[in-house]
Amino acid sequence: MNTYEQELFRDKQLGFFIYLGVEAVMFLTLFTTYLIYTPSSEGPAPADIFSITTLVLSSVFLLSSSGTIMISEKGLETKNHKKIITWLFVTFVFALVFLGFEITEFVGFVNDGYGVSASSFLSSYFALVGLHAAHVLFGCGWMLVLFIQLSGIKIPFPLFIEKFKIFTYYWHFVDIVWVFIILLVYVKYLV
Amino acid sequence: MEMFENLADAPSDVIAAWVFTAIAGILVVIWVLKKRKLPVIWEFMRTSNHRKIGTMYILFGFIFFLRAGIDSLFIRMQLISPNNDFWVFQADKYNEVFTTHGTMMIFFAAMPMLLGLMNIAMPLQIGARDLAFPYLNAVGFWLFLSGAIVFNIAFFLNSAPAIGWTGYTPLSSSLFTPDANTDFYVFGVQISGLGTLFTALNLMVTVVRHRAPGMTFMRMPLFSWATLVTSFMILLAFTVLAIGLYLLMFDRLFDTKFFQGPDGDPVFWQHLFWIFGHPEVYILAIPAFGIFSDVISTFASKRIFGYASMVISIILIAFLSFTVWAHHMLVVGLGPMLNTFFAFTTMTIAVPTGIKIFNWLFTIRGGLIRFTTPMLFALGFIPSFVMGGVTGVMLSVSAADFQFHDSHFLVAHFHYVILASTILGIFSAIYYYYPKMTGLKLNETLGKWHFWLFLIGFHVTFFPMHITGLNGMPRRTFTYDAGEGFTATNFISTIGAFLMGISILFLFWNLVKTHWENEKVGPDPWDGRTLEWTVDSPSPEDTFEPMPVVDDLNPLAKAKNENRAMKTTEEHRSKPIARDSIKPFLISMTLGVFGICMTYQWYIAAFIVGAVVFGFFVLRALTDEKNDYYGKDEGGAS
Repeated sequence: MNTYEQELFRDKQLGFFIYLGVEAVMFLTLFTTYLIYTPSSEGPAPADIFSITTLVLSSVFLLSSSGTIMISEKGLETKNHKKIITWLFVTFVFALVFLGFEITEFVGFVNDGYGVSASSFLSSYFALVGLHAAHVLFGCGWMLVLFIQLSGIKIPFPLFIEKFKIFTYYWHFVDIVWVFIILLVYVKYLV
Repeated sequence: MEMFENLADAPSDVIAAWVFTAIAGILVVIWVLKKRKLPVIWEFMRTSNHRKIGTMYILFGFIFFLRAGIDSLFIRMQLISPNNDFWVFQADKYNEVFTTHGTMMIFFAAMPMLLGLMNIAMPLQIGARDLAFPYLNAVGFWLFLSGAIVFNIAFFLNSAPAIGWTGYTPLSSSLFTPDANTDFYVFGVQISGLGTLFTALNLMVTVVRHRAPGMTFMRMPLFSWATLVTSFMILLAFTVLAIGLYLLMFDRLFDTKFFQGPDGDPVFWQHLFWIFGHPEVYILAIPAFGIFSDVISTFASKRIFGYASMVISIILIAFLSFTVWAHHMLVVGLGPMLNTFFAFTTMTIAVPTGIKIFNWLFTIRGGLIRFTTPMLFALGFIPSFVMGGVTGVMLSVSAADFQFHDSHFLVAHFHYVILASTILGIFSAIYYYYPKMTGLKLNETLGKWHFWLFLIGFHVTFFPMHITGLNGMPRRTFTYDAGEGFTATNFISTIGAFLMGISILFLFWNLVKTHWENEKVGPDPWDGRTLEWTVDSPSPEDTFEPMPVVDDLNPLAKAKNENRAMKTTEEHRSKPIARDSIKPFLISMTLGVFGICMTYQWYIAAFIVGAVVFGFFVLRALTDEKNDYYGKDEGGAS
C-alpha cells in the first residue's frame, strides 16, 4: 500500500473498529439478558441440555479458524495467492463445520421441545447464540466474496489487502464473542 | 390481502390523509415535470455529497416535523374543552395520535434534522472535504427515510401503533396488541435506527481523521465537538435500543419469553428503553448546545467564553446521561436505595448544564450583539431551557416524583427542555446555515415574526400545562370533566399550540419569498468567525481548494482582524473517494420492504427480499468505488 492507500485504509480501520464496538455493546446487552433469565423457573435447566462434546468440538474448529486466517493473512505480505487461498479455504471449511455443530445442536433442542418459546432461558439462549451463529454465517458469505475478489474479478491488490484485513478483524471479533459464550453461556452452568 | 383489511372501515381522518396525499402528490409531480426537475431529483437520489445528503435529511425531517406537528394540533383540539369530541380523536384514535406525534418527533423529525445539520456544517467547520465514508453516508440517510416510510405507511393502512413512543411492554406484547400496528413501530424505528448508527460512525471518523492542518481538537468549533460527543452517545444508546427492539420482535413474532411468561419481565423493557431513551434526550440537546455556542459567539462578535469548560461540560453531560436512566422509573418500585442513587445522578447533570448557561451569558456580556434571527432563537433558548431544567430537578426528587409522574407536569417539563433546546436550535441553525445549503439568505423580518410567534406560542402552550399537571391531569388521557379544574389551562394551551402552528406558516412564507426573490449571497453573509464561512454559498462539491491552515479557535475572525487572507497549504491528507450511485437508495428501500414483509409475517417473501439485500452487499463489494483509485504507484488521485 502506498501512503494514499494507507490513509484511506486507516479511515476504514477506525470506522470498522467503531463498528465492532457497536457489535460489542450489542452482545453485551444480550449476555446481560441471558444472565438475567438463566436459569428459568419453567423448562429445562442449562446443564440438562448442554452437551460438553458438542461445545468442545465446535470450539476447536471455530477458535483454530482464527489461527488459519492469520496464516492466510501472512500470504498478503509476499503476495502469495496460493497461500492466501488455501488457508482462507481452510478457514471457510472450519467455519462451516462449526455451523454444522451449531445447527445440529439447535435442531436437537427444537426437536426435544426446547425451542425459542420454551422458557426465558431458551429465548435468551437462542437470541444470543443464534445471533453469533448468524455472524459466522455472514462471515462465510464474506469469505466467498473475498475468493471472488482475489481470483474472480481481480480488484487491485492493495484494495484486496484492505478488504482482507478488515475481514480478519471481524473474524477475530466473532471468535472473541464465542470465547465469552463458552464461559458465560455454557461453562458457567455446566460446572 | 390482510395488509388492506383495516382500510374497509377506515375512519375519516385516514381517508382525508389519502385524499390530501394524492392531491399533494399530483401537484408535486406536475411541478416537477413542468420545471423539469427530474434530473435534479435523480442527482440527489444518487449523491453521496455531505451537503446534499444533509439537505435531504433536513427536508424530509421537516416534512415529518409538519406531520407530527399537525398531530399535536389534533391532540390540542381534542383537549380544548371538557368532554370534547373532536373529529375522531378519542380513545384508541387518541392513543394512535400521541404515539405518532412522539415517535415521529423524536426519531423522524428531530434526529434527521440534527444529523442533516451535522452533515452540512461539521465538515465545513473542521476543513474536511466530505464525510469519511460518502457511500455509507448515503446508506445512512436512505435507511432513515426507509424506516420513516415504513412507520408512516401504518397510518395510511389504518394500522397506526397506539403504544406510546416508549412502546412499554406488556402493552406492546402480542398478548395486548396482536395486530400489525405495533410491528410497524418495531421495524420502522429499527430500520431508521440502523441508519442513524451508520451516520454516527461516519461523523465520528470524519472528526477524528479529516480535520484541516492545524485544526487541533481544542481549536474545533463547539458544534463539531457536539457532533463528536453526540455520535459517541448514539453508538452506545441506539445499539441498546436496537437490541431492545430485536427482543421485542422475537416476543411478538416467535412467542419468546423476554417480556412475558412466568420469568419474562416487562420492566426489563423499561430498562433497555431508558438506557437508550435518556441518553437520547441529550443526543437531541447537545447538538443544539453546539449550534447555540457558535451562533452566540458569531453574533456577539466574541470568542466563546470558557471554551475548555464548554468542551468538558458536554463530555460530562454525555457521561452522566448514561447513569440516570432509572429516573424515568422512579415509581416502578426499584427501592429507596436505587431511587436515591438515580435522583442524585440526575441532579448532578444540572451542574455541567449550568456551566454552559453561564458561559453563554458571559459570551454575550460586553459583546457587540447583532439581533439576527438565529441569534434571537439562541437568546430565546436560554431562559426557556433554564425553566425546563428547573422542573427537571423538581422531577428528580424521587419522593415528589410520585406526584408528578405521568402527569401533564412531566409533559410540560420535557417539552420545555426538548423544544427549547432541539427545536429552537434547529430553527436557529436553519436560518444560520441556509446560505451554506442553498446560497440564499432567509428574510430577516419574516424570520423575526416566526421567532416571536413560536416563542410566545411555546410558553403559552406549555407553561399552563405545569398547572394542569399539578392539578392532577394525567398524560395520555383524551378527556376530562368540567369540574376537575383543568378547563382553563387546557384552553390556554390549545391557543398556544395554534400560535406555534401559525409561526410555521411564516417560515413557509419566508421560504417561498426567499426562493422567489433568489438573491444569492457570498461566502460570509453573517461576518462569521470559523472555517465554514470561507467556502462558497452553497458549498461546492470540491471544498477547501486550496486547503486552509488553522491557527486559532476563530481562524477567520483572526485573519479578518489582522487584515489578511487565510493561510493555505498544499500539504494535506487526501479526500474520501466518492462516486454517485443509486445502490444506497435501493439497498435501503429493499430493507424497508423486508420490514413490511416481517410486519405481516410473510416469511417467504421476507426471506427472498432479505436475500436481495445481501445480494446488494455483494454487488457493492465487487463494484467498490475504490477500484479505480487503488494500485496506482504514484499515489492515485488526490
